[in-house]
Amino acid sequence: MNLTLGTMLLAVVSALACSLPGVYVVLRRNSMLVDAISHAVLPGIVVGYFFTHNLDSPLLILGAVLSGLVVVLGSELLVRTGLVAGDAPQGLVFPALFSIGVIMVSLNFANVHLDTHAVLVGDLNLAAFRQLQVAGTEVGPAYLYMMLAMLAFNIVFLVLFHNRLKLSTFDAAFASSVGLRTGLLNTAFMFLVSLTVTATFNAAGAILVIALVVVPPATAYLFSRRLDVMIGGTVAVAIAGSVGGFWLSYALDAATSAGMAVFYGVLFTAVFLATRLARSIGRRRATRKLGAQVERRMPATTD
Amino acid sequence: MSPLEFLADHTYRTVFIGVSIIGLVSGALGSFAYLRKQSLISDVISHAALPGTLLAFLAAATVWQGDGRNMLGLIIGAVLIGTLAVGYANQISRGSKIRIDTAMAIALTVFFGAGMLLMRIIANGPFPGKGGIQDYLFGNASVMTRADVVTSALVGGAALAIMLLFFKEFVLRTFDAHYATVLGYRAATVDTLLFTVIVIATVIGVKAVGLVLMVAFLITPPAAARQWTRSMPAMVALSAVIGAVGSCLGAYLSIAFVPVPTGPLIVLTLFAIFVLSLLAAPGRSVVLRAVKHARARRLLMRELDTVAVEGRAS
Repeated sequence: MNLTLGTMLLAVVSALACSLPGVYVVLRRNSMLVDAISHAVLPGIVVGYFFTHNLDSPLLILGAVLSGLVVVLGSELLVRTGLVAGDAPQGLVFPALFSIGVIMVSLNFANVHLDTHAVLVGDLNLAAFRQLQVAGTEVGPAYLYMMLAMLAFNIVFLVLFHNRLKLSTFDAAFASSVGLRTGLLNTAFMFLVSLTVTATFNAAGAILVIALVVVPPATAYLFSRRLDVMIGGTVAVAIAGSVGGFWLSYALDAATSAGMAVFYGVLFTAVFLATRLARSIGRRRATRKLGAQVERRMPATTD
Repeated sequence: MSPLEFLADHTYRTVFIGVSIIGLVSGALGSFAYLRKQSLISDVISHAALPGTLLAFLAAATVWQGDGRNMLGLIIGAVLIGTLAVGYANQISRGSKIRIDTAMAIALTVFFGAGMLLMRIIANGPFPGKGGIQDYLFGNASVMTRADVVTSALVGGAALAIMLLFFKEFVLRTFDAHYATVLGYRAATVDTLLFTVIVIATVIGVKAVGLVLMVAFLITPPAAARQWTRSMPAMVALSAVIGAVGSCLGAYLSIAFVPVPTGPLIVLTLFAIFVLSLLAAPGRSVVLRAVKHARARRLLMRELDTVAVEGRAS
């Protein structure tokens, strides 16, 4: 497999792995929480590196996921005190965690050589560089197989918990009244999101991973009224957006994740404007129809 | 290093004054975002400030052939694009069934992605003075010049002046939006003005603290100040003081003891002040509340015991 094809496949697989849990993230109003999680994994990565000295170690990934969950649980704790208003709790916790991470990196704690630039945007091309060798032949980037595993894990989780997630997303009160443990389910789901964000960290960095998680489901949400339509639309947008974004950044010689985020944004804005246009045309047509009906019933008096 | 030695050094003094201005302005104006429950909008603004500053840099370097790093030009670019991003997010949530949190996440990441593309274009191009442009990601307080500080003071001062001038309107719109409309204040005008000053408060700090951490400057001081105060003027004033003092303290600690980046240490200082406020503020203290609950529970148990004993005796 040549490098370009491998990198493009990696972009598509990462986009799919992120956007599937993203469907529920958007529906459960947790979009900004992804922003918080993706920043909070940094100290976990540094501490994990201190113990393992291997950026691909499962222990390191576990540490990152746990520090991502600190934001989720920490902001829930702050909400429960009733002393902090609105969306502030997560905005209070994640900068503090991210600061700890930056300070640890700058003190050269653990000798981790993280390029601070890459922390924010990642580097898909670098991530795709290391090839996996099977029986002496290169079968594509090793990272691609990791993201494929992540994608498979997400699919299995979402299929297994489909009904429960659906119920707790659309009617949380009913879900807990029939005995569903919504709190536990939410934590498990956030664990999945945190794991996905960590796995994608190398490729997309802390800020652009939000685009991969949130934008395709949001685009599909614009034109769908049923969950299965929304999931299908998300898959389509993720594939189209990642392929388009890959070539955009290829042409501009820029980071792939940045090109993907921008291309996603263009797709989203186009669909947004199209649905608005369709709605206003539909409304005008309905008004005209109503007007004609009214006129037929009460013919205008001529005298 | 003693505080006196610290202040005698020109570079340190510049940093000290610069971050205290940033802390003061963002603390005061963050109060409004906090009470409107839209604190995270400042995170969107700070990320959108990246393409704004880079566009301003490109414009200055190519069209006017001038110094691309002129602070005022960069601030103007950041304010324009930051306001655009806020408008984009609001339009999405108003014009579709997508809710504001998702709209903000989209605006944040798309504008930031555009900024990263622009940064690559600048890095590849032959622009003079392009060094240091990547400081905007994490911020670098030590590269602040005296001119930067003066510009921040003037722009931040203007934002504070607008806030004081329209204080009544901002407070009314924050606490009772419908009543404000009934009284004849145009909601769109007041909102645009309010968000513009919040944008200004966010972008003046981006160069020193970086776009990721700027959100903490607008959320943490108000959240801490809210625990101690019960009126709007008091909250805004205390939040400004906490922002300024926390920034000074953090800057001092970061320079005097261990050589770590200033922005993150200020954020941790502010967070410590916030936690302290949660624990200690009278009336709302988490600790006091727990003690009070425990006492009430004990009292109730004793009462129930005596009732039970009396019931058995009769």
